[in-house]
Amino acid sequence: MAGSSSVPPVHPLIAARLTRRQVLRGIVIAGSVPPLSAILAACSGEDEGGGGSGTPSTPPEEIVRGGVLKIATPYAVSTLDPIKSVAAGDIEVLGQLYSRLTRRGPDGKEILPGLAESWEPSADELTWTFTLREAAFSDGSPVTADDVVFSYLRLRDQEDSAYGGAFQVIEDIVALDPKTVQFTLTGPAAPFLGSTEQFNAGIVPKAVVESMGDEEFAKMPVTSGAWAVQEWRPNEILILTANTNYWREGLPFLDGYEVIEVLRDPTRVSMLEAGEADVARDVPWAQVEQFKTREDMIVPLDPSSVIYVVLLNNQDPVLSSPDVRKAMTMAIDRDGITQAVTFGNAVTANSLIPNTVDYYDPEATPYPYDPEQAKALIEAAGATGAQIEFLTTDIDDQATILVQDQLKAVGLEVTVNQVDVGGWWDSVVNGNYGAAVTWWYNEVPDPDPAVRWALCGTCGNSSFYTFYDNPEIDRLTEDALHETDPAAREELYHEIQRIALEDAGQIPMWYQPYSNVYRSWVHDLRMNPAIQWNMDEAWMDP
Amino acid sequence: MKKTRLVLQRLWQMVPVLLAISIITFFLAQAIPGDPVRLIVGPRAPQSVIDAVRAQYGLDEPVYIQYFVYMGNLFQGDWGQSIAFRVPVLGLIGSRLIPTLWLMAGGLVLSTLVALVLSIVAARRPDRLVDQGVRLFATVGLGMPVFWLGLVLSTVFAVQLGWLPASGFGDSPIDHVRHLILPWVTTLVVMAPILIRNLRATLIERSDADFVLTERSKGLAEGPIFRQHVLPNSLLSNISLLGIVAVYILGISVVVEPIFAIPGVGQLYLNSIIARDYFVIQGLTLVFALLTMLCTLAADLLTLAVDPRVG
Repeated sequence: MAGSSSVPPVHPLIAARLTRRQVLRGIVIAGSVPPLSAILAACSGEDEGGGGSGTPSTPPEEIVRGGVLKIATPYAVSTLDPIKSVAAGDIEVLGQLYSRLTRRGPDGKEILPGLAESWEPSADELTWTFTLREAAFSDGSPVTADDVVFSYLRLRDQEDSAYGGAFQVIEDIVALDPKTVQFTLTGPAAPFLGSTEQFNAGIVPKAVVESMGDEEFAKMPVTSGAWAVQEWRPNEILILTANTNYWREGLPFLDGYEVIEVLRDPTRVSMLEAGEADVARDVPWAQVEQFKTREDMIVPLDPSSVIYVVLLNNQDPVLSSPDVRKAMTMAIDRDGITQAVTFGNAVTANSLIPNTVDYYDPEATPYPYDPEQAKALIEAAGATGAQIEFLTTDIDDQATILVQDQLKAVGLEVTVNQVDVGGWWDSVVNGNYGAAVTWWYNEVPDPDPAVRWALCGTCGNSSFYTFYDNPEIDRLTEDALHETDPAAREELYHEIQRIALEDAGQIPMWYQPYSNVYRSWVHDLRMNPAIQWNMDEAWMDP
Repeated sequence: MKKTRLVLQRLWQMVPVLLAISIITFFLAQAIPGDPVRLIVGPRAPQSVIDAVRAQYGLDEPVYIQYFVYMGNLFQGDWGQSIAFRVPVLGLIGSRLIPTLWLMAGGLVLSTLVALVLSIVAARRPDRLVDQGVRLFATVGLGMPVFWLGLVLSTVFAVQLGWLPASGFGDSPIDHVRHLILPWVTTLVVMAPILIRNLRATLIERSDADFVLTERSKGLAEGPIFRQHVLPNSLLSNISLLGIVAVYILGISVVVEPIFAIPGVGQLYLNSIIARDYFVIQGLTLVFALLTMLCTLAADLLTLAVDPRVG
């Protein structure tokens, strides 16, 4: 079926130049390590399609080497073993420590050669053969096919592999020779090639992991990415140094980078202003606005896959009524709240999946803002005066307060219950809540994990614990996974998004970019929607 | 002889207290809703993974069994594993204790010195302008929110003036001092008032005590009376307060350390509670309890050493 259809709009860069077949085979960009200039040229396509990155790339002669970049982040690093966590702080770091078979281009979507210099699927796309390049781990030992097989087996099979779902389609993986690995899939799987880039599919050295054991390796690993671990003081700082054996020749530019854990927002902001951090993660929007006007700060606002939604517990006696959920969608001024909370830095969400994942439907339309009709619907459903309990981790959360007000205006009684993060998850997972304003993100550009997480009722997470379950969506989710024709796949995902909005199982709120702020001496640093830095390409003024 | 017996007796009394605290903390921490494993491996991880990791930490056992296992290990010197960071608890706490002890020691010394000077100045001229000023400072300091004060100091002296660092602990003793000046000042502003209020009141009260009247009637000058009789007498009854202030400083380290990103046990305590990192919560609670009791013991011993009437 491949080739019979047009290329989907989600790959504009690829569509312009390559056929789908060429992309899958990875032949165009395959070969030896590209020279530095080619790498930099590859980074410069960012303004196509409105990528919106604030850091233009630099001609190679102007780049300054050296320096240690400091990041202040609220997210904890909990492990240095790539398979052990799918928490934000770990995803961000693990992707930097370990190279995967493939990597993503500057747009976060294009699939480029990584530790594999080329790959070739069989005609039925059930067998994939990857050819490895000459590369070494941070201890100097070569990256071999055995290491790849070992890394994928533990990713797929180990019971504490935190996010191995995407790799269960791998039926078999064998090393044909020291530089060739062959995957056999259980069935057609559209996300497979992309999953070889996923943050947890990093290649680890078999011999080292086996001799150290998982527990020790997770504290002081040998890496395959741009960075080697110098020191990790849990809950304080992770100190990384340039991996001199990194396969991308001439990279990284920095001598190292440090991840400093700082939970409090004001402290991260102070550190950034005092120059004790070069980059601050998750700066509050009010401060972002302030930093936009300052010459010594860069506010890149790189697009993320973060989507804010209002979860509705579909098992709640009131919220089980589709009409009430529809009315709630219509009662909320989503544009107004988005503008107010993010100071105009986010766009109102029109779908229930992130706008940066593949096959997101820009044409999807939720029920319009219409408080009058919302009120009428609520009355007709006999729900006037019904009580809905909003769960929040922050009693001052602006979005929750605004939503509460607007729902009151159409006749619902809204109470707010504050708990801490641990309590929040406990209540949500067990369905002990009415509604909640919250957010999530997708770790990969492929929509399969996004749909399984947020919209599928039978995929393990009960539609982000809203307990919304439409068998039609469940069926379409499986169909879309196995559909390898992009156009057909796109249709399936658009259908899923349409049904989800119609059922109003939850309410889309907004898509926001990363609120990271850099000092002006930081150059060419980007974070892609899968929470991955291009730290190997970043540099700083001396 | 007497002192040794007292110390041994007090140390022995700590055992049942620590045991009771360990039981209460263990069951309370696990009674809070929330699963540390879900937070650590990430909410997106499937339930099967969460269950597998829970089993690795023995969290699938009933809580009372977990407690016995924990205590059994504790007596062999094993404080358990941090769930959030997958490293041994003892090492994690050990590496964090130094910055907090620096914070406590400096905060206590500075608070004491400032309180001493201000109380004396105020008590020598009760109800005069100086005294009013000191009392105002004490009242404002007591009511000052620590997180706000820390933020203001950090914004002014670290961000705007750039005189001092806004975060961290530094690498050498001199560097530690530089990093701790703002946290110490923050501590001082809220802690010195506790000492001032008591010391000032004691000084004024003792200035009118019978033995002072006797001395005045003997014709002794006010200066020597104050220095040789009123002051030592008042200080003695305030020594036990030092132990309490030291414990308070330990308590507010939970607030002060995160403000200045000091990698001490206060910050770790806060994070471990948020993360439901049970064995770190347990270990830190025991450390905090032990430090608290040692501080009060130290204050009592000091009283014993300098006050001939006690013993």
